[in-house]
Amino acid sequence: MPVLPKRKVGLISCSGEELPEGTLSRVTTLQVLERLRPHDTVTLCLPLFLAGDDKERAFARFYPMIAIDGCDKRCAALATEKYSAQPTASIVIPEFLAARGLDAPHSRRQLDAAGERAVDALAQEIARRVDDILGVKHAHVAEEQVAKSEVVTATCSCGSGIPVTRLNIAGKDVEVVALPLIFEQFYGDGKSPDELFTMVKVYNAIPPELEPAYREATQRAFAEYVPAPEKSGG
Amino acid sequence: MTESKRVMIVPCSGIGKAYGSVGREAMYALLEDLCPDTTDTVCLSLLTLGDAEAQAQVRDQPTITIDGCPSACAKVNVEAAGGKPMAEFRVYDVYRAHRELKVRSVSELGDAGREMARILAEEIAAKVDEVSRQPPVNSQQSTV
Repeated sequence: MPVLPKRKVGLISCSGEELPEGTLSRVTTLQVLERLRPHDTVTLCLPLFLAGDDKERAFARFYPMIAIDGCDKRCAALATEKYSAQPTASIVIPEFLAARGLDAPHSRRQLDAAGERAVDALAQEIARRVDDILGVKHAHVAEEQVAKSEVVTATCSCGSGIPVTRLNIAGKDVEVVALPLIFEQFYGDGKSPDELFTMVKVYNAIPPELEPAYREATQRAFAEYVPAPEKSGG
Repeated sequence: MTESKRVMIVPCSGIGKAYGSVGREAMYALLEDLCPDTTDTVCLSLLTLGDAEAQAQVRDQPTITIDGCPSACAKVNVEAAGGKPMAEFRVYDVYRAHRELKVRSVSELGDAGREMARILAEEIAAKVDEVSRQPPVNSQQSTV
């Protein structure tokens, strides 16, 4: 039976080339992806997300997102908001450093001592937020225990494989993510329509006032998904 | 070369690809070591989000893109902003010519990855030098 991708937190780094804080956002994001929370986080290249298609946009609808920006132009947060959904959390590095009394790095190519200190503090903050979002508790925020044989290297989730279905809901053409996967799972388990809609809501941000329309549209789509002999009670 | 006519070096900086890191390092090698007086860069995400100043830079100045994967985000987004890259470099092409160079990872290039970035930067620097030696458009016109 197909299994829905594991619920993880998406990290979107601005990686701004012009600024030391852009490099800080990139290095810190990689630290969380590879060392602090390798099993709970995924990422996507921001320019690809911006220029991508449904598959890339679905990424930020499927995963709760943390945007990490190097300046107050907030490219990562704005891109997520514009093309997918409001990020679950947003960190603007100059604000974070000021709040913690940390110095900004001076080099955009190779982080200096101030940059390394900032990476450590910021990575721990992101890891805490990942834990909060997923509702998990780690004994400590430091590196997750990873088996020696399991070296984790950050990779992009481009072409994430999360399917997008277009439904007509309340007169509008709307994208709903993960629907075929959810249908396959429910078809096998024989769960109720209410449970189906609860699952759809887990993976899609649905405005409360549109819930009845979404419920009706997804249940109609599920009815079309079920093979004909079974619809007739066979 | 005047400030306004520096060659813009735009790498994809892909965060999930080791070649994205190679492209980014090559860009910094150009800006800081090889061509500090004739090159500059712009944040690709800012450009892609539609920032007017960033888009004007790649439209008005000679631009070179560096891409780390077939999605070619740097090239595609510069063109979408109205720019016409004078050259498009792919990290993979460096690998094809130097298959002995294996990049360690996206977060740590290792010696081979840094060597790959250096080779790429030197190839691009040659292109930058060509542009830098060309007289400004106005002076070309005045000699005709």
